[in-house]
Amino acid sequence: MDAWWQCEIPYPFVDKKITDAADSVRASLPNRLCDPRIAATLFDEVLDEFALCDDLGMNVVCIEHHAGINSLIGANPMVTSILARQTRNVRVLSLGTLISLRPDPVRVAEEYATADILAKGRFDIGFVKSGGTEMASANMQPVNNEERFWEAIDLVRKTLTTHTGPFSWEGKHYSHRHVNIWPRPYQDPHPPMWAATGDPKSAAEVGRRGMRHVLVLRGPEGTKRAYEAHRRARAEAGLPKVTTDNFAYAALVYVGDTDEEGIEVGSKLLWFLNTSLKSAPQYNTFLPGAAPPVAAPGLYRTQAAPEAGSALKDAEKGVAPASRNAEKLISITASEAMKQGILFAGGPDSVYRQITEFYDKVGGFGHLVLVGRSGYMTHAESRKSIRLFTKEVLPRLKAIMPVEVG
Amino acid sequence: MTTVHGIDMEVVRRGAGQPIVLLHGLQQIEPDARFFGLLARRGEVIAPSHPGFGASARPKDFENVYDVVNLYAAFLDSLPFDKVTLVGFSFGGWLASELAVRSCHNIERLVLVDTVGIKVSDRETPDILDVFNTHPDTVKRAMWHDQANAPDFNAMSDEALIKRHRNWESLSLYAWHPYMHNPRLAYWLPRIGVPTQVIWGASDGIVRPSYGRTFAGLIPGAGFSVIENAGHHPEIEQPDAFADHVARFLNR
Repeated sequence: MDAWWQCEIPYPFVDKKITDAADSVRASLPNRLCDPRIAATLFDEVLDEFALCDDLGMNVVCIEHHAGINSLIGANPMVTSILARQTRNVRVLSLGTLISLRPDPVRVAEEYATADILAKGRFDIGFVKSGGTEMASANMQPVNNEERFWEAIDLVRKTLTTHTGPFSWEGKHYSHRHVNIWPRPYQDPHPPMWAATGDPKSAAEVGRRGMRHVLVLRGPEGTKRAYEAHRRARAEAGLPKVTTDNFAYAALVYVGDTDEEGIEVGSKLLWFLNTSLKSAPQYNTFLPGAAPPVAAPGLYRTQAAPEAGSALKDAEKGVAPASRNAEKLISITASEAMKQGILFAGGPDSVYRQITEFYDKVGGFGHLVLVGRSGYMTHAESRKSIRLFTKEVLPRLKAIMPVEVG
Repeated sequence: MTTVHGIDMEVVRRGAGQPIVLLHGLQQIEPDARFFGLLARRGEVIAPSHPGFGASARPKDFENVYDVVNLYAAFLDSLPFDKVTLVGFSFGGWLASELAVRSCHNIERLVLVDTVGIKVSDRETPDILDVFNTHPDTVKRAMWHDQANAPDFNAMSDEALIKRHRNWESLSLYAWHPYMHNPRLAYWLPRIGVPTQVIWGASDGIVRPSYGRTFAGLIPGAGFSVIENAGHHPEIEQPDAFADHVARFLNR
């Protein structure tokens, strides 16, 4: 198993009275609440933490989120390109520029090809479907977001792999009549591609496409279900079996000297769930396309109607919007988060044990993504965990070799 | 149900006499609405639900406002009348305006109610409240003069709520971007060559009466009237006054 470290560069320094009073901490919170000097310090610290990972042999991940306290990395390709050049040893994953929000995937392919050149082939491309608040902040239609997602991925892949001169693309969502990027990517045919998605339908599509499938904070049941959908779709399409190398899991991770310290400091990571997920109903419950119409009775009513049973049950079967998943996470405690495989925290031995237990529960995965710093965690605390993880835990994880699954 | 261009459309009809076609706004027209009955005393009222609204089908990839406009051009052609009175509410007013600037060959008269469809103010002043990106409580306050007229989701049936969410999804496909308008429509409005009445709820906070006045000013000879104590839905909040306004216009 390999490991990848990431920090979203959250901005927690907004008065709690303000975030409590706001209906959303994403998309609509005014940016006057973001002190640019503090932001600059945060970028400095976190880029240094990425560099420390490079020194100690842990891969790095750069995510993207927009217009909120949860993350200051809205311009993923800029930070990705810095990492591509400042690291010298490890792999760099962009997870990813939010592809369905970008008007021209060809430009994204150009940015990614450049990052791969800068990193001399140490670059991985990730695709993420975006959240509800980002439909507002990027002015993008939410209902056909997933259609754009797959069409954009097709176009990025074709752009990265076509070397015979200009080609034309006139798809449903994207039109670019003269595609021919320079430079082409360093890796041939293209950098490894990841996709972060949990619902069974898109999990199946990730499987058919043979992309590396990453589940973020989904817990054992949801993760296992998605991995299974991935494998089943491959089997049904007559595609070869894959190994655990196709699967990744992202969790909040903190390693301290002792279990007590690891859990105490690791609990700071829960800020991501407790505080930074809050979003207003127009960005989740009432966002068109976020939940199918059949889920509406449970979403619109403030009091459950006695006869509302069938639709509510459907909502529980997995047609509930991401907002429902978020609601469950907002109030989570450290012990619950650890029980649910969302937080791996403690001393090195117990973190290793928690990871392998989770590994067994979901049928194995080859890549662990560590959400290593969040909320009010300090630079020193973050560095300590990176050192302890890479020294005490990572070598043991690396001994877990890929095995064929499915 | 009626099939037009292969699409199954829910069409509610009532009354007899001169044909009045209603193109609804953010929600399909409920046949038990008081204004619907009042209009039916004046003629044959024909109210189709847009594709993806009410019980109307929405074919795959049918997600552009011009899909809807073309469908209604076909719908009007399919009716057994030379000409109809066309009434468009809110989003349906945009559709009616698009139809009328193309051709008025089957439109006798045009009524636009709290319509959207054009850009009036400067680029930094939105004319139409963003109903998708604004808190639902704010949207509700802007929509209704009397908040008691707003639908009570707790009292609505599962079926009605499911329809409502599907309507919302369809509306977002047609009107997300550019938001609720065609940047070039204002340029073409002077082409409308039939008697037109623009009616507005005085308290409409979704799209203000001043917008309506500008809209009417772009259509040659169009009248403009305001209904007091009504928001974005004067037909629901003041059905009698609304029906009177329409009747006066039709009798003129």
